[in-house]
Amino acid sequence: MEKQSYMRGVVRSPMFSLLILFAALVIYFSAASKGLFLKPKNLVNILNAMAISALLTQGVSFLMISGKLDLSTGANGTLCGMLLAFLLQHGTPVVIALPVSLALGGVIGLFNSVLVNEINFQPFIATLASTSVFTGFVYVLANKKAIDIKNPVVLWLGKGMIINYIPVSAVMALLLMVVVGVILHKTKFGRQIYLVGGNAKAAMLSGINPKKLSYKLFAICGVFSSLAGITLAARLQSGTIAGVTNARFQGITAAVLGGISFGGGSGGMGGAFVGLLVLSGFNNGMTVVGLNPYWQTVASGLLLLFALALDVFRTRRNAKA
Amino acid sequence: MEQYLEFTGIGKAYPGVQALRDISFRCDGGEVLALLGENGAGKSTLLKILSGDTRPDEGGIIIDGRPQQFSAPYDAIKAGVSVIYQERQLVPAMSVMENIFLGEQPKTSLGTIDKKALRQSTQDIIDKFGLPIRPDELAGRLSVAYQQMVEIMKAYRRNSKIIAFDEPTAPLADAEIAILFDLIRRLKEEGRIVLYVSHRLSEIFRITDKIAVLKDGRFVKYLTTSRTNEQELIQAMVGRDIGDTYANLRRNDKLGDVLLEVCNLETEYLRDVSFTLRRGEVLGLAGLVGAGRTEVARAIFGADAILGGEIRFEGEAIDFSEPKDAIEAGIALCPEDRKDQGLVLWRSIRENITMPVLGRIRKGLFLDRAAEEHLAEEAIAKYAIRTPSINKIVRELSGGNQQKVILGRWTNSKMTTKLLILDEPTKGIDVGTKAEVYQMICDFAGEGFGVIFISSELTEVINVSDRIIVMRNGRVTGDVTRREATEESVLALAMTD
Ligand SMILES: Nc1ncnc2c1ncn2[C@@H]1O[C@H](COP(=O)(O)OP(=O)(O)OP(=O)(O)O)[C@@H](O)[C@H]1O
Ligand SMILES: [Mg+2]
Repeated sequence: MEKQSYMRGVVRSPMFSLLILFAALVIYFSAASKGLFLKPKNLVNILNAMAISALLTQGVSFLMISGKLDLSTGANGTLCGMLLAFLLQHGTPVVIALPVSLALGGVIGLFNSVLVNEINFQPFIATLASTSVFTGFVYVLANKKAIDIKNPVVLWLGKGMIINYIPVSAVMALLLMVVVGVILHKTKFGRQIYLVGGNAKAAMLSGINPKKLSYKLFAICGVFSSLAGITLAARLQSGTIAGVTNARFQGITAAVLGGISFGGGSGGMGGAFVGLLVLSGFNNGMTVVGLNPYWQTVASGLLLLFALALDVFRTRRNAKA
Repeated sequence: MEQYLEFTGIGKAYPGVQALRDISFRCDGGEVLALLGENGAGKSTLLKILSGDTRPDEGGIIIDGRPQQFSAPYDAIKAGVSVIYQERQLVPAMSVMENIFLGEQPKTSLGTIDKKALRQSTQDIIDKFGLPIRPDELAGRLSVAYQQMVEIMKAYRRNSKIIAFDEPTAPLADAEIAILFDLIRRLKEEGRIVLYVSHRLSEIFRITDKIAVLKDGRFVKYLTTSRTNEQELIQAMVGRDIGDTYANLRRNDKLGDVLLEVCNLETEYLRDVSFTLRRGEVLGLAGLVGAGRTEVARAIFGADAILGGEIRFEGEAIDFSEPKDAIEAGIALCPEDRKDQGLVLWRSIRENITMPVLGRIRKGLFLDRAAEEHLAEEAIAKYAIRTPSINKIVRELSGGNQQKVILGRWTNSKMTTKLLILDEPTKGIDVGTKAEVYQMICDFAGEGFGVIFISSELTEVINVSDRIIVMRNGRVTGDVTRREATEESVLALAMTD
């Protein structure tokens, strides 16, 4: 009886259905690409893409669990990647350029949190608007062209391989993901994020300061966005104007697929990881089977919509039960 | 035709708990039937089944001889059932009349809503009940009591023959309860079937005809109100005699020096509030709903801004900018609205209990899980919280057990509280546990700490407190000792200007 209901719990859990979906995707894409999908070279591609999305997901997850959101992660990352390229081009040593670029991400996060906490904008509106501000700065810095990166340390971060098959960036992103998971579930800081996301008023009356927390989380999200942008720039060997701007939705899609609800207070890194698998497999599979890029954009949009629908559905079912 | 409602062999299980098993009883038209039982006995679950919100695993409902199959609330409404939950179900942004006629508003020949007819029909119902409510008023702007009246009028408009109330008086003041009871009597005279859930025994005797007692999800006793007494009810409900709660309290009579001094306090809601609290003292705050008692608590706790006057705690002036500082200084506030300000509903009992003491249960970088579990176990034992596990999501607990979780949080053993402020702590709690809470309050005072006890239940606040401050409209209108206080005198102070 006990065991049976446990099994039922597993089968009904969102992770289980997501893993089934992932398995189905793998099978379908392998067949449709005549095995290309599972070739080591392609797996490396998947891992590479996953690294970037994973970093964006982690940043935005902190905010989403606390009941907030950041849509400017992509623009933030792009700007930071561009800044790094710019600084290096002008002869700044990497030990300075790298931390400064990461710090810029944090400052951008703080800027967002001022909009949200002091002017009381909805996070959605605030970060949608600030996205164009940051994108504007990208244009200013770039002055119409991409800036090459030649620094070997940075390039290693973006393109380096461990035993020929494992991208350094993927290892870094996944290790960070474990760290984030531990922070969320084992520390006071992590617990406060869930409590504020679940009921900010109650958290405040229990001695947690939701505003202070929100500042920290926006800053953390900013640093993660920056790291994502830097990683991509390093991989492309240049700060580009497009950067990770369009990847911002990938971070959110993976988080939502994995059970981190827009309502706040739920989900975690385990789910987000499964969400990432599905997302990365899906995106890569479309390329491997040779789907026209325009249609790929349509399909990515549909996946985001699917994730959103899943969130609405889960929230509604929970509200009823 | 004879009107009656019958439950036949109702059973319902949730993961880890059998909420109801084999519940069978009957209720006739023109009668008010009380559903009585401890927290978690299954009363709300039974009402949810009656309203079509939840489906039973076994058994069924028979209305006027016809077996019913409710698969959604809509079916129950069609069959003439209205359940009025403790949480209001009105649409706050809609007017009273739109709420009352929700989904069935009168139409003009053009198919638009006939506002005139709508207003008139609403006014007719309002007049019938003799209430000072306007049809055009927004539901969200009414007081909780009047919102509840609107729900009753909605049930009346639907012509529901079965109307059930789940702890309707918890948020109401005495005067409002009188209005509610008039309404219930009227429904009864019209031959309707009324089900009534409450933990206040005095109400059961005032308003009901029959009593069905549930215990641990089983039906244990069916009684006629006029032929029973409190002792028998408590015996049936709790399974033992708890005696006279107030007489049995072991009180503290050693008063120390002044712990808290409130001088001419002004906030957005308060005018010139002054009183003192000594160590070892239980100070009651009485008054009608909205008198400003909660605001006093919030000002002390650093949750509302102080605009004038002074608060001195242990001899030093305090003006906390956030509750965190108050907690660190040794002040705890157990808030009144458990859903809005108290609980994080989607998190576990364990996580809810340890909220204010996260900084004190750490092991290195991490939270000390064992210490956390220990605190949760303690609270469960102290307040007899009915749950299969400390990791159960608080939302899945019964109302009274949720209240106990907040109490458990604010009295957990890692707190270093010197001043405990309890705002309506016994709301929705069963009689047995109420006695435990009163004793906890007295013991806490006995250790040389201070307690501010806010309650809208006069009997309770008068009998537990050593001294009672009475408030009205943000001002203090009286300061009496337990010996001096009677329900009449305190009520008079709460109503005079
Ligand atoms: N949605 C749910 N999921 C899991 N368990 C539930 C759920 N709803 C109720 N229960 C359990 O069913 C039991 C009965 O709960 P119910 O709310 O009916 O009690 P009650 O008699 O109304 O108590 P109270 O006086 O505290 O309101 C409780 O043990 C509760 O934990
Ligand atoms: Mg209940």
